[in-house]
Amino acid sequence: MIRFENVSFSYEGNEQEGLEPVDLTIKDGECILLCGRSGCGKTTFTRLINGLIPNFFPGKLHGRVIVNDMVISETPMYQIAGQVGSVFQNPRTQFFNTDTDSEIAFGIENAALPFGELHQRVEQTEKDLHIEKLSQRSIFELSGGEKQKIAFASVYAMNPDIYLLDEPSSNLDMDAIIELKKTLQLLKRQGKTILVAEHRLYYLMDIIDRAFYFEQGRLKKIYSPHELMALTQQQREKMGLRATDLRAAEPSWHQIRSAGATLELKNVNLNYKKQRILENINLSVKGGEVIGIVGHNGAGKTTFSRAICGLHKEMDGKVLINGTVQSRKALRKHSYLVMQDVNYELFAESVEQESTFGIKNPDTELAKATLEELDLARFSQWHPNTLSGGQKQRLAVAVSMICHKDILVFDEPTSGLDFDNMLRVAQLIKRLAQMGKVVFVATHDYEFVCRACNCILHLDENKLVESYPICVEHEAQLKKSFAIT
Amino acid sequence: MNRQASHKWLWIDPRTKILLLLICVIAAAMAPNLTYEMGLVLLIACFALASGKVRLAIGGAIGYAFFYAISMFVMVYASETLQASLLAFLGLVHKIYLCGFMGGIIISTTKISEFLSAMNKLHAPKSLTIPLAIMLRYIPTIQEDWHFIKDAMRLRDVSPSLEGILFRPAMTLECIYAPLLMAASKASDELSIASVTRGIENPLSRTCYVDIRFHFTDVLVVVCFLAYVVIGRFL
Repeated sequence: MIRFENVSFSYEGNEQEGLEPVDLTIKDGECILLCGRSGCGKTTFTRLINGLIPNFFPGKLHGRVIVNDMVISETPMYQIAGQVGSVFQNPRTQFFNTDTDSEIAFGIENAALPFGELHQRVEQTEKDLHIEKLSQRSIFELSGGEKQKIAFASVYAMNPDIYLLDEPSSNLDMDAIIELKKTLQLLKRQGKTILVAEHRLYYLMDIIDRAFYFEQGRLKKIYSPHELMALTQQQREKMGLRATDLRAAEPSWHQIRSAGATLELKNVNLNYKKQRILENINLSVKGGEVIGIVGHNGAGKTTFSRAICGLHKEMDGKVLINGTVQSRKALRKHSYLVMQDVNYELFAESVEQESTFGIKNPDTELAKATLEELDLARFSQWHPNTLSGGQKQRLAVAVSMICHKDILVFDEPTSGLDFDNMLRVAQLIKRLAQMGKVVFVATHDYEFVCRACNCILHLDENKLVESYPICVEHEAQLKKSFAIT
Repeated sequence: MNRQASHKWLWIDPRTKILLLLICVIAAAMAPNLTYEMGLVLLIACFALASGKVRLAIGGAIGYAFFYAISMFVMVYASETLQASLLAFLGLVHKIYLCGFMGGIIISTTKISEFLSAMNKLHAPKSLTIPLAIMLRYIPTIQEDWHFIKDAMRLRDVSPSLEGILFRPAMTLECIYAPLLMAASKASDELSIASVTRGIENPLSRTCYVDIRFHFTDVLVVVCFLAYVVIGRFL
């Protein structure tokens, strides 16, 4: 049982964020969805249960959180760890080991289980979660979805009573989400208590017992899944929530107004470490098109994105812009990659400097106008690191516009974004298309594809499976690409 | 189940590795001449080969050969004053190189969980081993970060190469450290969170999935190194 006794919290040095008083009880075996906009307090809520507040994040804490007779604020982390398991959003940095078996064993090693039992538990975990084929692998060769499974397995091996999952689906493809759902169902059958903080709601609707909706640090309302499903699209979007049923999401069928540059790929093959990643790709796209690159994790979307930007070495075939063949170096002059983690591409000390960074004779007028246009001008003296995630993304886009790039590739631009921010990215991308840019978006996000893309490029099994414009005739195909039935 | 059987390559206890590193540090500090050091580097390269780190072994040996050649060149051709200042510096490089080479092999062949458990058996305090473990774990993430940063630099027309560092040093370095620092602070926070929520601070003596014990091979490797360190002086 989890009991919140009039609990409130504010972070040290950031009083606005936190949680206003909450008083409630979560029964054993319940499955709770924590939803709301980014920064609404749902992550704070989970941190109050797994002890990261106050042990890792200091601040002002009032009231008591009690989990199975433990008062969290008075219990050392390692004792909480035995009963509360936490799985986090970024699978890359929650690994401690570099091989899968050791990673699964990490938690139970800390709990000092004897050698024989360690092996038994790891084996049992791999069996229960159907991940035997991931046994004895290096972490670095796993896909995002597989990493997430190992992170989960490591917590599962500790056999906690309570599971906390913080945006577990944000790096997963559609199939991996279905598997995640099955795992959650398994936990439910075992009578575990589950709390999931999540933006993507649709896959959880038939698992959860209650949904806690947070707004600006306040637990605003508790919904039953029926009540949540019954919200109209308008009500839901006003609350900043994503779709509860993907079948209801409709593509927007916007017209393509082709203009600007054309990009052609002729017989392009891509290898990685001498292994074939993608084979024989032929493609022709024009400015104004927004092409959603879809396919499973590990299908080659990243390799393809990098190749378009002239960053991938092992490549043969031809890439033409406006009919002329481009070298890799020339391709780099025309294209820009907006990475999933934008922090890697921000170098300078202020937004203003960033906008002209690396350009020999910068056009300061253009830079100013672009920052203005992307609503960044008022931050021009800020350090890029102090911007929010969405603002950083816009800054990267601003840079590409100032460098006169015609081809933009976005890698998972909406992973972990709430409805409002997803919509903002969709609008930004549409604006780029109207300016005549060729825009590629590697994504798993069906709702986002519906709002932003007008073409689909489906990669799988080392091939370009299909490419088609998003129009009424291709609706069935589109849904199939995203495993929506 | 015998997990040791699955080791294709030479596998020795992390504690033995620390002992080897100590031996190398002492040997390097007391090395009588360059030939002796070169022999030690070859021995370390053999150790790397046996541990399955072929590229590291070859790279390390070639790197040393490079410094060796420079030292020889200086000794033969440089003027006396230049020689005096350069040789002091190069002598230091030789010694540090040796230890760095050995350290690199140890880091790349030791799993974090092995390291933690071995430290535990040595009764090292957790306040020391946990930050060390997080640091060790952080090294491979730098490699991944570097790939992203390289891509980002190329798209901004900044060359992530030696040439870039030589001709536009300020800008190139800024490009590397700004995002790397950002990524590092985030990664270390997330790694720490992921470890404390799985009970790394548990005061109980930690167990290990890989069986950590001294084997005959441990003795053999130590004897090899000791033998060279002592006998090599008389060759």
